[in-house]
Amino acid sequence: MTTGMLVIKPGIHATVQDQGRFGYQHLGVTPGGPGDAMAANWANRLLDNAANCAVLEITAGGTELECQTQTMVAVTGGDLNLTINGRPQVPWRSFWVKQGDTLKFGYPRYGFRAYVAVQGGFQVAHTLGSCATVTRNGLGGLDGKGSSLKPADFIPCKAMAQEGIQRQIPESYLPDLDSALTLHVIPGYQQHDFTKAAWQIFWDGEYELSAASDSMGARMKGPAIATPKVNLLSEAVCYGAIQVPGDGQPIILLQQRQTLGGYPKLGSILPLSGYALAQRPPGTKVRFRPMGLATAQQQMRRYLRFFGL
Amino acid sequence: MSKQPLPEFSTAGIDAVLMTFGDTMSATLPLYLAHLRQTILQQLGGIVAEVVPAYTSLLVYYDARTVRLYDLEQALEKAAASVAYPALASAEQIVLDVPVCYGGHFGPDLERVAEHSGLTTTEVIQLHQQDDYLVAALGFSPGFAYLSGLNERLITPRLDTPRKTVPAGSVGIAGAQTAVYPTSGPGGWNLIGRAVTTWFNAQGNPAMAHGPEAMTPVQVGDRVRFVAISEADYLALYATTQGEHS
Repeated sequence: MTTGMLVIKPGIHATVQDQGRFGYQHLGVTPGGPGDAMAANWANRLLDNAANCAVLEITAGGTELECQTQTMVAVTGGDLNLTINGRPQVPWRSFWVKQGDTLKFGYPRYGFRAYVAVQGGFQVAHTLGSCATVTRNGLGGLDGKGSSLKPADFIPCKAMAQEGIQRQIPESYLPDLDSALTLHVIPGYQQHDFTKAAWQIFWDGEYELSAASDSMGARMKGPAIATPKVNLLSEAVCYGAIQVPGDGQPIILLQQRQTLGGYPKLGSILPLSGYALAQRPPGTKVRFRPMGLATAQQQMRRYLRFFGL
Repeated sequence: MSKQPLPEFSTAGIDAVLMTFGDTMSATLPLYLAHLRQTILQQLGGIVAEVVPAYTSLLVYYDARTVRLYDLEQALEKAAASVAYPALASAEQIVLDVPVCYGGHFGPDLERVAEHSGLTTTEVIQLHQQDDYLVAALGFSPGFAYLSGLNERLITPRLDTPRKTVPAGSVGIAGAQTAVYPTSGPGGWNLIGRAVTTWFNAQGNPAMAHGPEAMTPVQVGDRVRFVAISEADYLALYATTQGEHS
């Protein structure tokens, strides 16, 4: 008998994710992957899973799962008022669950996305080397066609013979998901196309994360930045690129970004800032601060080394 | 043979460097970029993760832990110098014939394009098929080919209000660009017809650049030619392709 988790309620938006789909951007295929990659990595780390094991990304809550297996489960990311068999549980730790247990996510106390990992990872077939769900591309997920989780979906995972060690991440390691957010910006190659005044507005301004944001791009609402009058041919765009379209409202391109973009770019944000941004609900106040490339690369090196990536 | 273009390097992100070859498109640059992409992946596979071509640039994603930017740029410059600049109308360029059923309910904006350009719909259809198009970039969504070389008389601005859904296979014009929508989705292009060609096959073999096994029928640097067909032929072709992919 196949063991796994049964989706009773998918909630607002729940998907299967792994690190992402790499190597196909030249054909227009976006990498995808979890919004808060660090929390997803922590979930696998708590269970000694390989870093690319499939996890569930629960956005904004409301998800209900029934265990049809016995295994160790790890939950990280935002606190979405998780209960197991009705008992409240804090995230950033691992649990032993048995056949018939229910995991129920409420609505966010803090943070915006929770990650669920199981021992050995969820067993989901890969399309183009990944099971990361990208609905817009019709790739990944349980059906390989980019569908998010639906009621009665069954997500296979292994059964464990005996209970493992419950672990909890020390509080000093936990990211602050609640306070005002400062995003670190590495100014990019088009920085000189923007005027000094435009940069001043950008550094001084307080922006708000718009409700029109999604996994393709985080849209900012705030003081308009004058865009340079250049007619750029589209070029490939990397994670975190800050595009400024004609209306002067910055858009930060995220993990499901379109592979090419034609708007002028201020630079890109530190990926760690992007993961923190993924934990903020629409309406969050955001500020920008500059960061040098060497510092940014050092921070990312440390992060990657820590998770063995 | 044209002169080798010199790349300019600029920092795009913490693990990406952009190589730019001027800011004007030429007929042979995309093919050169496609060759250079292959060469970089072969020579620097250990430190370069992905290379994404578009119009006049290559975005090179690298592993910032194994190489310093300075050394990477030197290696990339060497790779760029080692790739011969292709001659115009290279025999390597694949020319893909794309059968299109123009007008009617498949091309609801054909009249609009005709009106804007001061031509009859027949002339629009004729002009759209007249010349080859160059695949200048693949992107936005899987298999979406940005085609350059649209006849100047057909240049038509985008719709003021984008459609919520544009069916897969729709052939559109936006500004000086023309393209076929690989999958259905929202879009603001002027729709003039419908093609049956499959633009992205997730089951395809990524190692194949062309042929029925490939993931996309064309690569950057290839050419595309549109060929008008009747609605009856369209439906017959549609029935056969559906059979293949179901």
